[in-house]
Amino acid sequence: MSLLKTESLSKRFGELLAVDGVSFEVNEGEIYGLLGPNGAGKTTTISMACGLLKADGGDVWINGSRFWSRPQEARQLMGVVPQDLALYEELSGRENLEFWGKVAGMSSREAKIRAVELLESLSLAERAGELVSKYSGGMKRRINLGCALMHRPKLILLDEPTVGIDPQARNKILEYIRELVKEGSGILYTTHYLEEAETLCDRIGIIDKGRLLTEGTLSELQKGVGHDQLFVLEGAFKDEVPEAWGDFSKSFRIIQRTDTQMTVATEGNGDPAEGLKKLLALPVRLQNVTLKRPSLNDAFLKLTGRDLRE
Amino acid sequence: MSRLFHIGLNDIRLVFRDKSSYFWLFAMPLAFAYFMSFTSRAPSEAENARPEIYVENLDTGFLSLLFLETLGQEGVRPVGEDRKEDAKRGITIPVDFTDSILSKKQSVFEAYKMEGIDDARSMLVEVSLFRAAVAFNGYLVEHATAYGADMPIVEEALKEVMLRDNPVRLEARFAGRKPIPVGMNQSLPGNLVTYLLLNLMVFGGASIANERRAGILRRLSISPIGRVELLGGKLFGLMLLACVQIAVFMILGQFAFGVNMGDQAPAIALLLLVFSWVGASSGLLIGFLIKSEEKVVGLSLMIALPMGAMGGDLLPVNRAI
Repeated sequence: MSLLKTESLSKRFGELLAVDGVSFEVNEGEIYGLLGPNGAGKTTTISMACGLLKADGGDVWINGSRFWSRPQEARQLMGVVPQDLALYEELSGRENLEFWGKVAGMSSREAKIRAVELLESLSLAERAGELVSKYSGGMKRRINLGCALMHRPKLILLDEPTVGIDPQARNKILEYIRELVKEGSGILYTTHYLEEAETLCDRIGIIDKGRLLTEGTLSELQKGVGHDQLFVLEGAFKDEVPEAWGDFSKSFRIIQRTDTQMTVATEGNGDPAEGLKKLLALPVRLQNVTLKRPSLNDAFLKLTGRDLRE
Repeated sequence: MSRLFHIGLNDIRLVFRDKSSYFWLFAMPLAFAYFMSFTSRAPSEAENARPEIYVENLDTGFLSLLFLETLGQEGVRPVGEDRKEDAKRGITIPVDFTDSILSKKQSVFEAYKMEGIDDARSMLVEVSLFRAAVAFNGYLVEHATAYGADMPIVEEALKEVMLRDNPVRLEARFAGRKPIPVGMNQSLPGNLVTYLLLNLMVFGGASIANERRAGILRRLSISPIGRVELLGGKLFGLMLLACVQIAVFMILGQFAFGVNMGDQAPAIALLLLVFSWVGASSGLLIGFLIKSEEKVVGLSLMIALPMGAMGGDLLPVNRAI
């Protein structure tokens, strides 16, 4: 069942069309990743999904009901983890969890029990009584996540929850998110980290300049790149004119080019050795040639002509 | 509804977790009250207690002297020519005052306003004058009742009547305590009111500004809590803070500084709570309108301190009568 459904969401800030007709669904027991570079419209989309912003166009449905017909009930169903930390630094981790639990309608006793559970799950039990101001960035991120999970929401909206933290802390968060899905929660996860989307998400939507360009499972998106073979060439390409390299244009097309690196694709899924042979025969000195499996970045590259990491 | 209480209780917990709050809530206002109490202490107290009345006594009998004694009992100080300029009102006791009363005839004395004295001050002395006249008549009636209407009035007997406890006594005082409270009686309640307003505006406004900066307000707005509960919770927290400050000041005032709370301490507390509600609402309004904590503090100071000064909280604006 669809826990979250957006229909043609759009939002404009002055001249800027931040979100343009974005539609997607998040189902029970799935992680839907919204992948895009900074400024793509991910946070604006999630802000409209949780009712922080009102959409200029389109609609949001939570568990089958229109969000704005019963906003408080909709919010009771969801837990939102904002991109920026939103914690009381003067309170301990436990006190923060209990406070947000009570705000979500839990009794003091329920909040205490649930806080202990979460502190264990997030590996913070030993430092539960310390002030949040003394926590590391990763610990703050985990408490920030925990605050949204206190009332056991069915739908969890995570807006780049691992941004700016070390790999170890990130792994702890990702592990916990996987556990949440096993319990049946539906998760909307925005990120600009390719690896997170590839390893974590069941379905991925690629968003850029406010538009949802494509969506699907990782393999569907990889297939979308086509059966092309991708080669990454390294060399000095600043003054080169590839069109002048004999039959290059007949066999390859340039996906991306810089002064020192060029990503080219061949049509079809023929023998990679054939492609390699043709590349080595080009009238240009190549320092290195790498055969590459299509990734999400390639999908993004194909759709936008830009690298997601730019 | 319980969410409202949780928001308020959390806010007050945050206030008291910050050690500097104790300074601004208690130490600073109490120190201010203590030092300000020196500025309004002695002169006005003496003057308030016994405003002067100029007496031109043409009578040489004992009844006029006893009448002047009665005037003194009513809280005015009869003065002669040497302090005539201090007097707020004057009376002339006729030459036949004693003789007329002894012969059971009416005696009329003249009361008048002194030059350059405003009506209000003169009026307050006239009240005492009127009360003295009524009291003096009462003594004469009591004397007649005790010794018989036909018996002549004897000075010693009348003095004895004047010293007796009245079977019925009407004790009328100015609302509050003295006409103008002075010393700690003025500075402690005055500073309480000023700092109550200031602290509620500062703590209310700054906490909102701080929560906005920390993203907590945004998070609260997407949590399952209604706007009314959120606003009510914030107001509740500030009202709790006000209750603590009011209670500490009233208890310390009464028991440590001997401030006279009068017979209406609960009514005073209620009035202060209503005042606190206004202060807390103003604090929240400022917090929602102004983003920077520093600006919130600056604006609160600019509002609360001039209001305290102009309203007579920091120093009494009334002049003693």
